[in-house]
Amino acid sequence: MPRINSPAELEELRKGILSKRDPNKPCITLCSGTACHASGSAEVAASIEQELKKQKLSDKVDFRMTGCHGFCERGPIVVIHPEGICYLQIKPEDVPEIISQTVKGKKVVERLLYTDPTTNKKIIHESEIPFYKNQERLVFGSNGKIDPKSIDDYLALGGYSALAKALSQMTPEQVLEEVKKSNLRGRGGGGFPAGRKWEECRNAPGEIKYVIVNADEGDPGAYMDRSLLEGNPHSVLEGLIIGAYAIGSHEGYIYVRQEYPLAVGNVDVAIKQAEEYGLLGKNIFGSGFDFTVKVHRGAGAFVSGESSALMTALEGKVGEPRPKYIHTVIKGVWDRPSNLNNVETWATVPLIINKGADWFLGIGTEGSKGTKIFSLVGKVNNTGLVEVPMGMTLREIIFNIGGGIRDGKKFKAVQTGGPSGGVIPEKYIDLPIDFDELTKAGSMMGSGGMIVMDEDTCMVDTARYFLNFLADESCGKCVPCREGIKQMLDILTDITEGRGEKGDIELLEEVAAMVKDFSLCALGATAPNPVLSTLRYFRDEYMAHIEQKRCPAYVCKELISYYIDPEKCQACMICLRQCPVGAISGGKNQIHVIDQTKCTKCNTCFEVCPPRFSAVRRLSGEPVPPPVKDRVLVRKKG
Amino acid sequence: MVNLTIDGKAITAEEGTYILQVAQANNIDIPTLCYHPALEPFGACRLCTVEITSRGRKRLVTSCNYPVEEGLEVSTNSEAVIKGRRMILELLLARCPNVPLIQELAKNYGIKKPRFKLEDDNCILCGLCARVCEERMGVSAISFSGRGLDRKIDTPFHIHSEICQGCGACAFVCPTGAIKLEDITDKEPRPILSEFNAGLSPRSAIYVPFPQAVPKVPVIDREACIHFLTGNCRICENFCQAGAINYDQEDEIIEADVDAIILASGFDLYDPSALEEYGYGKIKNVITAMQYERMISASGPTGGQLQRPSDGKTPKKLAFIQCVGSRDTHYKLYCSSVCCMHATKEAILANEHYPDLKAFIFYTDMRAVGKRFQEYVARAEQEYNVTYIRSRPSKITENPDNGNPIIWYEETTARTRTSMEVDMVVLCQAMIPSGSIKDISDMLHLSLNDYQFVNIPDRLFQPVDTEIPGIFACGFCQAPQDIPDSVVQASAAAARAAEFLSKED
Repeated sequence: MPRINSPAELEELRKGILSKRDPNKPCITLCSGTACHASGSAEVAASIEQELKKQKLSDKVDFRMTGCHGFCERGPIVVIHPEGICYLQIKPEDVPEIISQTVKGKKVVERLLYTDPTTNKKIIHESEIPFYKNQERLVFGSNGKIDPKSIDDYLALGGYSALAKALSQMTPEQVLEEVKKSNLRGRGGGGFPAGRKWEECRNAPGEIKYVIVNADEGDPGAYMDRSLLEGNPHSVLEGLIIGAYAIGSHEGYIYVRQEYPLAVGNVDVAIKQAEEYGLLGKNIFGSGFDFTVKVHRGAGAFVSGESSALMTALEGKVGEPRPKYIHTVIKGVWDRPSNLNNVETWATVPLIINKGADWFLGIGTEGSKGTKIFSLVGKVNNTGLVEVPMGMTLREIIFNIGGGIRDGKKFKAVQTGGPSGGVIPEKYIDLPIDFDELTKAGSMMGSGGMIVMDEDTCMVDTARYFLNFLADESCGKCVPCREGIKQMLDILTDITEGRGEKGDIELLEEVAAMVKDFSLCALGATAPNPVLSTLRYFRDEYMAHIEQKRCPAYVCKELISYYIDPEKCQACMICLRQCPVGAISGGKNQIHVIDQTKCTKCNTCFEVCPPRFSAVRRLSGEPVPPPVKDRVLVRKKG
Repeated sequence: MVNLTIDGKAITAEEGTYILQVAQANNIDIPTLCYHPALEPFGACRLCTVEITSRGRKRLVTSCNYPVEEGLEVSTNSEAVIKGRRMILELLLARCPNVPLIQELAKNYGIKKPRFKLEDDNCILCGLCARVCEERMGVSAISFSGRGLDRKIDTPFHIHSEICQGCGACAFVCPTGAIKLEDITDKEPRPILSEFNAGLSPRSAIYVPFPQAVPKVPVIDREACIHFLTGNCRICENFCQAGAINYDQEDEIIEADVDAIILASGFDLYDPSALEEYGYGKIKNVITAMQYERMISASGPTGGQLQRPSDGKTPKKLAFIQCVGSRDTHYKLYCSSVCCMHATKEAILANEHYPDLKAFIFYTDMRAVGKRFQEYVARAEQEYNVTYIRSRPSKITENPDNGNPIIWYEETTARTRTSMEVDMVVLCQAMIPSGSIKDISDMLHLSLNDYQFVNIPDRLFQPVDTEIPGIFACGFCQAPQDIPDSVVQASAAAARAAEFLSKED
């Protein structure tokens, strides 16, 4: 690959790439993001290649495996260009039809299209699907058009033009000012103004400075950074180089968690290609600015996503947080000024440089500008990665984009911010997405995890779940976090298992208060949030668990029992046969009875009992009625 | 320098110091568990948390690692601080309910019983052990392993460490006694034995030899000091508030022109290990008279309690063997002159401490020649349960069941050969001129007599004059003698030297 020595050469190269690409040439793009991968996109890919070869179309039709499209609920996703026809949930056996009908025949295969649940109409183009229509996919949108292993794809979309502009038309101070002006706040959870952080790092004493990409994304259910790094690694690199230029750093690190080998692989390829083009290394674009970057893999600990722990891990030590009274931008890796930002933050920078801070300021709320990528998961119809402007309400995200609660259930709460965040109940569902608004409501933006919960979710169990996660991930260095979380988890486990006592909640709140204020790092300091937040909005659920030994959501196994209503049971034997532990006794014409001593609360009988009978009931907080004496079934007529 | 207030008190402090250091220097007490002046602050226990107002914001920060700033307002005992500290201690007490330090701290904050399930750990994970091993000893034999609730102090791969240097610093700094050296290394730690306490107790590498030392200033034993052995540690330097520790100190050679010299180099004790038949060094309960002296002394290592070495039990039957190495053709021909009397004194002291105790003194001749010495010996026999047996025992063996020494001897007055089992034996070892006498006498061209004492040509009329005019010798270096006699000779030597100096030639 020829080395690009100036912005002019970049544009030449770009023109060259585009000239070789016929926009009207048929192109099949297949999402190969993590979720689609798990849904079998590798097999679909093989099938596409095979079919193209078979139909002798390999030269006439392009095939591109792209990064995550975001609509992970419906993957594997195939989009046929140039028409932009979007097919969902593709299996390898669908491929011949797609190629024959759509690619060659220019006809749509109806059954593979998206059906709007409200209008029942089929939608052809990806951008018109409500899931996508209501988003503003400024950062994430390119994923669908790029093969992450091809830098040329990125260049074809205008990639690295921001870097060229920064290095040739702006001074580092001007770049810094632009980012400051844009009010870009960190997307990793802290929400700290990135420009201010860059400035403090730039002004810190010391020649050698580091810039770091934090790709240790550890919140359960969050995979935005993963998909961004896997699907569009160059956007992150470009932002990083621009940031390094503004700060005066010549060395960068990308810290990727151990569990993201695909991201590491794609970033490695991206770095190599960028180096070959001279976009990394010495004298980038002939500007005199040098910059190199290394990839560092994590070792499987959530806590090393905390900035000081991450820096300690980069030094080769165990990833444990250290005091940040002296900011890491002053003394970070090897005690040198180090600027750490989240993947998404870095990926947003090229947009700000290209389109300007004023453009960015036009999106979002007063305190939170720009867009944010969320992983919308849980009890929604459309799970996936969504990018929305700050200020959009939770209701709009969950219902307009997410398609509402699945299975017709009722919305109960949405959990944001992962283990550091809290739940937001229905009464605040019109809250706009905004750093400060979410914090006021007792939660936080976090890195973008958004877990939707319905009436079948137990809030006490949710708090217990997060504390269990944190107890496992705590580094254990400081007493409040290590011992405090353990005891809070103990109390919560007791409550969910029917051993809750009067005074438990008060003790929980007391421990939580100390852990919040005395912990060494943000993991400990935010650990009480799930507990405090669920207590704030769902205290009655806690009281039910403690006082009545009742779980209103029928989740906590120790507090629920399964009971077959003798009035409704039709002795069809379905549940009897399906029970994995043989706890149900009965026979033809003999009303079935569950042996409570054997029942493991697996929920199978509840699920398999035919809806027209609905004879299986869950009880909580009340004793199970004894079996009826006369179990001979009297069948209902009609 | 910056100005700040702690609990309302206005203080000036050096920039870059931490709140805790400044507080301690101003006698303001902040509790800590993981802090150590010789180690980098760790910030793990959070007990030293204080409430600060900085730039208009109130925050809770740990004082051990928060640098002081201009205008900082610190409160070490606000309500928020006390509440949090109490909860931390309650949690620690639940983890380590049987650790005295935690019990004490918890009590001070009004915690009686934790409201949590109790465990039974004794490590508070303060990290002092691992940190001293890494930061000061440069070894890193132990470290933290595991995460969260699995966190513990361990060696790599949980096996005995090859690199542990057995210095015991970890066990020394551990506030709860949780560190056991045998868990870390196979090496047996060899304590540095205190010379002054005749090897009965350990001392550190930096030490004041004895309370009456002149000058009363600690000295560093270069052969035992970790710094001199490995280049690390230097912890003592961190503690010396006067900054008096100087590892580069060299021996000073002082040249002085003098006109008279008084030799008073004193005595050493003869090591009775040479007399293998007495089993010193092999039989645990056979000790030397000097060791006995330290044991019976109220300011000694056992506080005046007689605790026999094998099991710490108080002996009921105590034996003294005289002339161990003295009056012996194999070792020293002369009589050491003081042992009969000091043995009698020691036997009397034993009976005074333990009225049930019987002492047996195995003597050759009782040298009770001083003023009222004979009466003293008689009193010992009559009032203090001391029995004198004229005999020089041939050997001492050990009863394997209980560690009792058995003395085999011939009672010369009765002419019977017999044995006696006792609880402890004290060997009254010979005394010899101090080891330096050979070098000094060579240097000064003095001759030593047949018994290796400094030669006094005319003992009768010039008892402190050596062969060389102007050089005088007093005390044990010239003949075995006790304290009163040594004092007399010292006065004599001083007078002779003064007389000598007053002559003009």
